[in-house]
Amino acid sequence: MRLSRVHRLLLAPALAILVALLVAPIVLMAVESFRPYIPGRVGSGAGWTLFNYAELISPAYAFYFWDTFRIGFIVSVLAVLLGVPIAWHAARTRRHAVRVFIFGLLIGLLFLSLIAKLYAIQMTWGASGPLTFFGRLIGIPVSSPRYAEVQVFIGLLHFVLPVATLMLIGTFQNINPQLELAAESLGAPRYDVASTITLPLAMPGLLAAFMICFAMCISNFVVPLILGRGVVLFTTNLMYTRFSDVANYPSGAAIGIVMLVLALGVVYALTVLVRTLFAEDLRP
Amino acid sequence: MKGASGTRGSPAFVATPAMPAAANWRAAADSLSGALFWLIPAIVVVFLLLPILVAVFLSFDDRDYLGAFPPTAFSLRWYRSFFDNPAYLQGLVTSIELALLSTAVSLVAGTAAAIALAGTRWRGRHGLEALFLSPRLVPTVVIGFSILGFASALHIFDAFTRLVMGHVIITIPFTIRAALASLVGIRRNLVEAATSLGASPWQAFLDVTLPLAKTGIIAGGLLAFVLSFDEVAVSLFLADAFNQTLPIVLVAEMRTNLNLTVAAIATAFTALTVVIVVFLDRTVGLDNVIGKGLYGR
Repeated sequence: MRLSRVHRLLLAPALAILVALLVAPIVLMAVESFRPYIPGRVGSGAGWTLFNYAELISPAYAFYFWDTFRIGFIVSVLAVLLGVPIAWHAARTRRHAVRVFIFGLLIGLLFLSLIAKLYAIQMTWGASGPLTFFGRLIGIPVSSPRYAEVQVFIGLLHFVLPVATLMLIGTFQNINPQLELAAESLGAPRYDVASTITLPLAMPGLLAAFMICFAMCISNFVVPLILGRGVVLFTTNLMYTRFSDVANYPSGAAIGIVMLVLALGVVYALTVLVRTLFAEDLRP
Repeated sequence: MKGASGTRGSPAFVATPAMPAAANWRAAADSLSGALFWLIPAIVVVFLLLPILVAVFLSFDDRDYLGAFPPTAFSLRWYRSFFDNPAYLQGLVTSIELALLSTAVSLVAGTAAAIALAGTRWRGRHGLEALFLSPRLVPTVVIGFSILGFASALHIFDAFTRLVMGHVIITIPFTIRAALASLVGIRRNLVEAATSLGASPWQAFLDVTLPLAKTGIIAGGLLAFVLSFDEVAVSLFLADAFNQTLPIVLVAEMRTNLNLTVAAIATAFTALTVVIVVFLDRTVGLDNVIGKGLYGR
């Protein structure tokens, strides 16, 4: 079927926006990433080079990637583990008030300004807040540089937990509650019901939530910027510094291309993984 | 069925001394996992809400320095100090103008595209939809950085224009998705009924389709506005000294000192969020925002 004239006209503005504000700038950035950097000059030099990419393999830069991925991975695992119980209650409860409370809380946290949340975290978990005992509890004093990493963990968790939980609610809602009830009525302990029925059925959803959280974490910029205190820096922050401090546009462009490939790679890996592992479960 | 629901919440499997050790272990694991299933949500809710309550509490602190928690006297001084600082007010004005303009652009272009995508059976529509939603997958720093380079290649040096460019592209996936979700949900026979009764396609669209899709489109616009209003990474690349958005001013403030004016602003944001949630509950219903799933009651 061909596209009618009216439909083509309706699609034109959005398509123009996508091409002009996403495709063209990224293509230009990709071209720039192969240009040499000339110190003291705005923009890039002439000719072609792979130096901007080769540079990223050196340990000094690889460290940023390692930090980003390590913290992103741990936070995403935690977000899914902590999100599962709430999501399960929200999906299974018979009490309207409980469901509305959880839904309202999660949607509110999704809408609430991230900057407001990060400020609140800094005031609560920081040096003058009421939770300084936590630092002593885990053996990392609030004033030490390592505590910045703890705060980045907390900040990212606040950022992704509502998203993970909302995704997981959808997952649990789509698992037939009759299956759990049937197993329970046959005398299976709740522990067995969870591990042999609910969890295996929820696995594609758990993986999807994990991957979305992971993608959100590794491309986050504000959390390490504010809570990282210069100690914890993500690749996004590295990219910004390349541009703001040394005006090295080609290097920033190369980091951007690598990040883009990684972000798209995560989404692609998720799709392939869920499709191959759970091909039978997903068949309608 | 009645018996099955009666066993919920009470241990269905009780260990007795006659049982082997493995059964004891299993019963213990069962009650432990049951307890954790209530304990973890409670901890998570406290974890998520406590900082916000602390910030709200601190915003009424009367001390002019950042003292130990809790505050000893209360006042509205930090709310007044917001209005005394022109940088905040200027930032707020820029942020509102920017969010309104970019939401308007992405709402109009996004809704138009969604109408076409929902109305056609053209084979390329799924690919096009994926393209329209793809800006969500691109890290916001990459969007800010690439638009900065693109704008300077086109000799666009006006920071506000650049900001609008960046904010339109980050918000458009959300307006398209929200409009598409509400348009696809409309039953085709309602539109067909209108046209069979003599309405023109245009009339049917205005009188049937649009009113039914209205709430979804408005919700998408609301989300776009909030996203644009809170954006930091894109704005940091595209703004200049004369066009600072409120988030940029706040981030700069938070990195230098922990001014309690930010607590007052955070409290105002929290109040606004509560209003949004109550509004969504009253208009669409929170159940419908999230959906009830395949086995929903």
